[in-house]
Amino acid sequence: MPEPSGPDPITGKSWSTIMLVSTFLLMLTVAWSLWSEFFGLRPWRAYQRDFASAYQDFLGKQIAAQTKAEAAVYSSPEYKKLKADLDAAQQSAKPKDDEFARRIALADLQRTAITPAFQSARGQVGALIYQVEIIPESNKSARDSAKKDVDGAKAETYEVEYPLGDGKTEIRKMNYDQLNAGFTDLMALKASLVAQQAEVDSSVKIAQIKLNEFVKEKLPGPSAAGLQNLRNAMSTFKIDMHQINVNPPGAMLNYVGGIGLVDRCQSCHIAMDPLVVPVTMTLTKADLGRTMAASHDAPFTSHPDQDLFNWHPLEKFGCSPCHGGNGRALDSAERGHGRYEHWLWPLNYRENFTAGCQNCHASDMVTEHAEVLNRGRSLYRTRGCIGCHKYSGFDDENERLTTTRQQIMQLESTKHDYSIEIPRLNHQADIAPDNDTAHKLNARATSLTIESSKIDAQLQTLESVSSSLMRESKRVGPDLKEVRMKLRKEWIPVWLTQTHTFRPTTKMPQFRLEQDEVQKIAAFIWQQGIAGQKLNPVAPGNAGHGKELVESRGCLSCHSIGEDSKTIGGDFAANLSRIGEKENYEYLVRWVHNPRERTLPYCPFEKKDITPEDYKKHRLPFQFDLDHSRCPNDGHQLEVQQPTIMPSLRLSDEDSRDVATYLMAQKHTNATYPPAPYMDDPKLAAAGRALVQHYGCAGCHEITGLEDEGRIGTELTNEGSKPIERLDFARYTEDAKRGMLINGKTSPRGPWYDSKGFFEAKLNDPAVFDHAKFKPDPMDRLRMPAPNLTDPKTHQIDKNDVDALVTFLLGSVDPQLPTEYMYRPADRRHAIQEGWWIVTKYNCIGCHQIGIDQKTTMQDLPFYQAENKANLPPVLTSEGARVNPEWLKRFLANPSLSTTDTNKNGVRNYLQVRMPTFSLADNEIRKLVLFFEALSSQEEPYIAPKSESLTNTETTFARALFTNPAAPCLKCHATGDPAHDKNATAPNFTLAAERLREPWAERWVTDPAKIIPGTSMPSGLFRREGDRWVFTGAIPSEFRSYAGDHANLMVRYLMGITPDEQRRLQGRSSGGGASPPGK
Amino acid sequence: MRIRYSAYVLVAAGLAFALVSCGKSPETGQPAGGGGSAPAAGQAVDAATAGSVTGTIKLDGAAPAMKNINMSAEAYCMSQHATPVKDESVVTGPGGTLSNVVVYIQEDMSKYSFAAPTDPAKFDQKGCQYHPHVLGMMAGQTLQVTNSDTTTHNIHPVPKDNRDWNQSQPPGAAPIMEVFARPENAIPVKCNVHPWMKSYLFVFKNPYFSVTGADGKFSIANLPPGTYTIVAWQEQFGTTTQQVTIGAKESKSVNLSFNAASSGD
Amino acid sequence: MWWDWHQIWEVASAPDNVPIVALLFFIPFYCWLAFREAKKNDELIAKLEADPAAAKTAHRKTQPYEKGWDREVHTWPYLMRVELLAAILVTVLLMVWSLTLNAPLEEPSNPNVTMNPAKAPWYFLGLQEMLVYFDPWIAGVVMPTIIIVGLMAIPYIDENPLGNGYYTYRQRKFSIWTFLLGFIGLWVLMIVIGTFIRGPGWMWFWPTQTWDASRVDFAVNRNLDDVLRIDGAWMAHLMPGSWKPFSGLIARGIFGIFPVTFYFLASGYFMNWLANRTAFSRKIYKRMSLLQTVTMLMLLALMLSLPLKILLRLVFRIHYVWETPWFSV
Repeated sequence: MPEPSGPDPITGKSWSTIMLVSTFLLMLTVAWSLWSEFFGLRPWRAYQRDFASAYQDFLGKQIAAQTKAEAAVYSSPEYKKLKADLDAAQQSAKPKDDEFARRIALADLQRTAITPAFQSARGQVGALIYQVEIIPESNKSARDSAKKDVDGAKAETYEVEYPLGDGKTEIRKMNYDQLNAGFTDLMALKASLVAQQAEVDSSVKIAQIKLNEFVKEKLPGPSAAGLQNLRNAMSTFKIDMHQINVNPPGAMLNYVGGIGLVDRCQSCHIAMDPLVVPVTMTLTKADLGRTMAASHDAPFTSHPDQDLFNWHPLEKFGCSPCHGGNGRALDSAERGHGRYEHWLWPLNYRENFTAGCQNCHASDMVTEHAEVLNRGRSLYRTRGCIGCHKYSGFDDENERLTTTRQQIMQLESTKHDYSIEIPRLNHQADIAPDNDTAHKLNARATSLTIESSKIDAQLQTLESVSSSLMRESKRVGPDLKEVRMKLRKEWIPVWLTQTHTFRPTTKMPQFRLEQDEVQKIAAFIWQQGIAGQKLNPVAPGNAGHGKELVESRGCLSCHSIGEDSKTIGGDFAANLSRIGEKENYEYLVRWVHNPRERTLPYCPFEKKDITPEDYKKHRLPFQFDLDHSRCPNDGHQLEVQQPTIMPSLRLSDEDSRDVATYLMAQKHTNATYPPAPYMDDPKLAAAGRALVQHYGCAGCHEITGLEDEGRIGTELTNEGSKPIERLDFARYTEDAKRGMLINGKTSPRGPWYDSKGFFEAKLNDPAVFDHAKFKPDPMDRLRMPAPNLTDPKTHQIDKNDVDALVTFLLGSVDPQLPTEYMYRPADRRHAIQEGWWIVTKYNCIGCHQIGIDQKTTMQDLPFYQAENKANLPPVLTSEGARVNPEWLKRFLANPSLSTTDTNKNGVRNYLQVRMPTFSLADNEIRKLVLFFEALSSQEEPYIAPKSESLTNTETTFARALFTNPAAPCLKCHATGDPAHDKNATAPNFTLAAERLREPWAERWVTDPAKIIPGTSMPSGLFRREGDRWVFTGAIPSEFRSYAGDHANLMVRYLMGITPDEQRRLQGRSSGGGASPPGK
Repeated sequence: MRIRYSAYVLVAAGLAFALVSCGKSPETGQPAGGGGSAPAAGQAVDAATAGSVTGTIKLDGAAPAMKNINMSAEAYCMSQHATPVKDESVVTGPGGTLSNVVVYIQEDMSKYSFAAPTDPAKFDQKGCQYHPHVLGMMAGQTLQVTNSDTTTHNIHPVPKDNRDWNQSQPPGAAPIMEVFARPENAIPVKCNVHPWMKSYLFVFKNPYFSVTGADGKFSIANLPPGTYTIVAWQEQFGTTTQQVTIGAKESKSVNLSFNAASSGD
Repeated sequence: MWWDWHQIWEVASAPDNVPIVALLFFIPFYCWLAFREAKKNDELIAKLEADPAAAKTAHRKTQPYEKGWDREVHTWPYLMRVELLAAILVTVLLMVWSLTLNAPLEEPSNPNVTMNPAKAPWYFLGLQEMLVYFDPWIAGVVMPTIIIVGLMAIPYIDENPLGNGYYTYRQRKFSIWTFLLGFIGLWVLMIVIGTFIRGPGWMWFWPTQTWDASRVDFAVNRNLDDVLRIDGAWMAHLMPGSWKPFSGLIARGIFGIFPVTFYFLASGYFMNWLANRTAFSRKIYKRMSLLQTVTMLMLLALMLSLPLKILLRLVFRIHYVWETPWFSV
């Protein structure tokens, strides 16, 4: 029997240790889970606790300051005075007031005294009446007895201890009717007494209001008491989750699912809660002694732009719809901000936060409070992104044109079919077996005849639409059909290679081209240019005068001139510094004279330029302009203008020559251009065509043969919500996911594998995602050229531009929010929305101030400083209220207001700066007029108020006022007499009748500075006297008696003034018109 | 298996197609056959056996007095007539013979074929009146409208079964050539410029019609033997009819009369 | 990119893959544990067998025990305490797991975008991997069914009375090796491959190789008949006209039968040889009925076919051995 090798393996071993250990482990994990339940997963508790204390300290300080301030105010004499007034008023009112108070109290007493008796009486009677009612009519006797009971109850009297005031009472016996009457009487009595008392106290009230207003004005923001309450509230502040719950019926607000929006952002961003920090206060980190650096302090600021809550109430919009992020998550900042792989709508970064606006404001061009977004939009337009990338709502005239043309062709073919069908039907009718069939067929034929005449009508409409659209549609780049006339041949290849070095501020992007590609493209462009149309030579003009014109006529509100630090002028249009190196003088003269002038009209149906020969064929004069825009061959609308934004300044021929001469002098003398004989090689051109199409040049330029080329880029309308899988980070995919930047550094914001990262990388270097790719054939490479976002001063890419564009793109999502959240107003605001598109399109804001606090390019030009400020173009903030829309339409169509003498301004011909002719499309004019009216909240359509005509006395009086030395109107206002108008600085009165709106004119003459601060029109011509305006100057004795409103009289007079009336008065007018001012 | 199946399919398809095409053919033939004025339809009338009907139309009783037409609206028209013109709705000759009566046969002769005459039916406007006042013509025959006046007329037939047209014709303008394709009785013709101008066009499928002149005589020739209903139409008195049987090469005379008392329908 | 540790970490740390990572540690551990116990028992059994007296008392069909050991022990506490311990430890494990790792939720699915790689839940990765080697019909339907049926059949096949209720290697060599091959060698291994090796495009990425979605690799996988140029050209002559176009198909179909049958014969022979190696196993093997034998051989053959096919595919780039219009292996 062998010895057992050791004890029993099962029973022989104690397990206590392992049991102990594992139990202990279990305890630990339980503890851990409890901790994470209460703290780990609820970081916001810490924030709130922290905030509560910091906020209390802050409030403590505030209270101290506020109390001091209040003390100061209360001790101020004004306050004392107002207080005294109040007291006085109260004193004077007191006796009466007390009397009323006493009587009211007594009335109350009496009522309360009778109330119990009255109630029981009423109860008893009511019950008995009910008894009567339930006895059927038939049972007369029973009814009568019951009625008797009622009378009995009514007769029954109650003892009431009736107060008589001063504590005296008497015992009154009152039956039901007396009680009832007494009760109602007392009610009435009290009402009347209260009213009378209020009457007495009115003076007190007024004084009180005065006082309150004074205090409010002196001590804005919450009072010390209010703050104290707030502080008390904070001291007992309950740490709890703050949640906005929006649940619009049927709406899908939160991005994730069918149910409404739930935003708990305020649980951490506690200061955003208006209940915690009242909207009258703004709280910054500095206030709480925090620094921006410490990220955990982020929650401690109130919303930086409180105004937004007026239109976007929190309880309707919440936070995440605008800002992005996961409004529900609370377990960590990263989660809440949705900055993790699987949340598709992460919080917008600080530099892009206005992206959220685009969600709903996609149909705006200009959105208030969203500067970055606005900048992005305008960059997208002006930098020519739109040339390649479609974006719904942006400059879609070309698309609309195409559809219109397709419709036209469609209808024409239909019409043609009818023309065949009708005779066929007629024949069928003639040979029909019976008359009924014949009738049917004939009827059908007749209806077709009518149809085709209807089609004619439609065609006419469509033609006019297309002509209007052609006016509207502009191209980002210049027309390349006229290169041969316009450009210096050798310059073209140089430009293609050194776009941004030649003109650092150009809109044209820099393409990445091989040398041979440059040659091919240049050759193609050159050979596609219209040949054989020679411009006849023009003598050089006076450069000096040209310079003056450029500075004074307003060219610089769009164009800039001078390089680097010496640049002046606007950045809306090209910088003209080196224009002399490329342009051809004759062409430049023509351009300056009228940039819209075209060498040959283009027929979009025949797809060719119409030559004089075509006109000759139809024995027509070779004449085409906006009024002669029908094609001689097929009668369709022609493209008769250059598709350029630049308007005609209506300069005279010699002026144009002077300007051109001056501009031609703008050049580097040392610049050299190697000869480019290859540009005439047809083989190169053939190759070039493919390249030009490949790079989408025709998106921005008009090129012969490529007029109908579409946009080559991807549409970006919804780019922001493109799945990340669709954005090809190519070799950088892994780096992006791991937060390694292209330059090898680690990205400050960690992984950049998201839309923002993609857009930024792409904008900084469009070729970036070709890096490390093996693409020997240039045609395979990414074609997007480098947009010119370089800051001409620093020569670096302007981060603000990139941010602006990225913001715009990030906002360009297919809308997640319910449609009622989209900003598509139907009222005036719609007109404003529409108008901004045009205003920005033509850069009206370069010259005119339209927004209240908007600056114009011109204000900053050196030429318009000091006394020249008066020569700035008119401020249009109140244009809608000022002018008659009918007139405005005419003016916008032709600002010279004349068909013969156009080399002037229509209204302010005394200004050197020129309101140019934009040859706007009717559609645009309509929108602009509505825009201005909407801006000054005018009703549309405008119906002029009826103004009664002047009596003879009034006329004479008005004349007297008009020529009164105290009102030298005609000193400044133009009269049409050239000698006088030399010194005129204000418009001619004869325009007033048709131009101005009377109510505005009246407001204007009484206080112009109120409407346009800094206007040269003096205020104080009239003074307020009771409810009327009275002339301030000496009034001729005979008119002293005139009781009417002088301002109104004056305006009515001016509205009817005629040129010869004006001339007659001019003599009488003090100082006389022709005399120079100051005499 | 699969192959057999596809064979069935093919056969079925073939049958279906055949059926469809058979169904089609009659339809497609239809318009050609049923053509009203298609000469190919029937045989020609045998001139050897053909007979004729002649006669006179009279008015029993005194002819109602016609009122004058007031042409004062246009001086030119006035100048054309020494004496005022009378309304032409009832025009009688000596012995009450009625002119402007259309005589035709009611029977459908479509089993014969009749070529429309090549020379146009002449229709003139003279002295602001239509000449003739009643015109008979054949379907497909050209109507030649001339204007002998030196004022502008417009001629505006208002047919029921044919197409309405309205052409203005200045003096010396080329004659208007129009064709009425469908037979139709009493197509009123008026001139919108001169409201009194009035006339009637008759369009027949066959040549068996005649319009009486001042002598009230009519003659319908080249009638194949058979029994016919002779219809006489008068602008005011409406129609009257009479049966007549024509033997081979027989020529009958039929006299019809309207009653002056009957105002007509 | 090679030596991309971040990549490994990404895969290993994905909440989805936690069970598999655990698998990597647990399976070796428990194997080791089992073998340790088995060794002890085997030695004990050997010792007992050496001593006839002990051999009588300590019956060989029960857990072998020595003199002085309880022959039987009570459920309480000896079983309950083990179960309690297990309960505690599992609770701890689950709690820690749920505290440290969130549920792997992703964005709302976008039908227009397919994720790459698209992987089945971890326990199905084996099947997904099998799709590489067989056509969907075999890999997705036939094989799983056979696996389940086979598992159910085991108790009816296993005639070995020994080794119930205690760890032993010597008494159950055959079944243990079968298990190790079938479960660890195939099932677990394929899950691991599917998890750690298969990257975007279900391409083969060695560990520490970056999963580059834009990677392009080129590999021709040819059918066996293709390698041997079986195109049925010569068959075409013997066939009626309408059949001629299908001659290639038929030829390949027929050809495929041979290697497959050959495999089954060969593997059958091999396993027969295997079963007859030791006296003990020969004895067990003799006890089995024909049905049992055949079933076992079939199942084993099928099981072995999988690694064989993997080998053919990965090493010799053979796509299918037998291709027919209805199924391919």
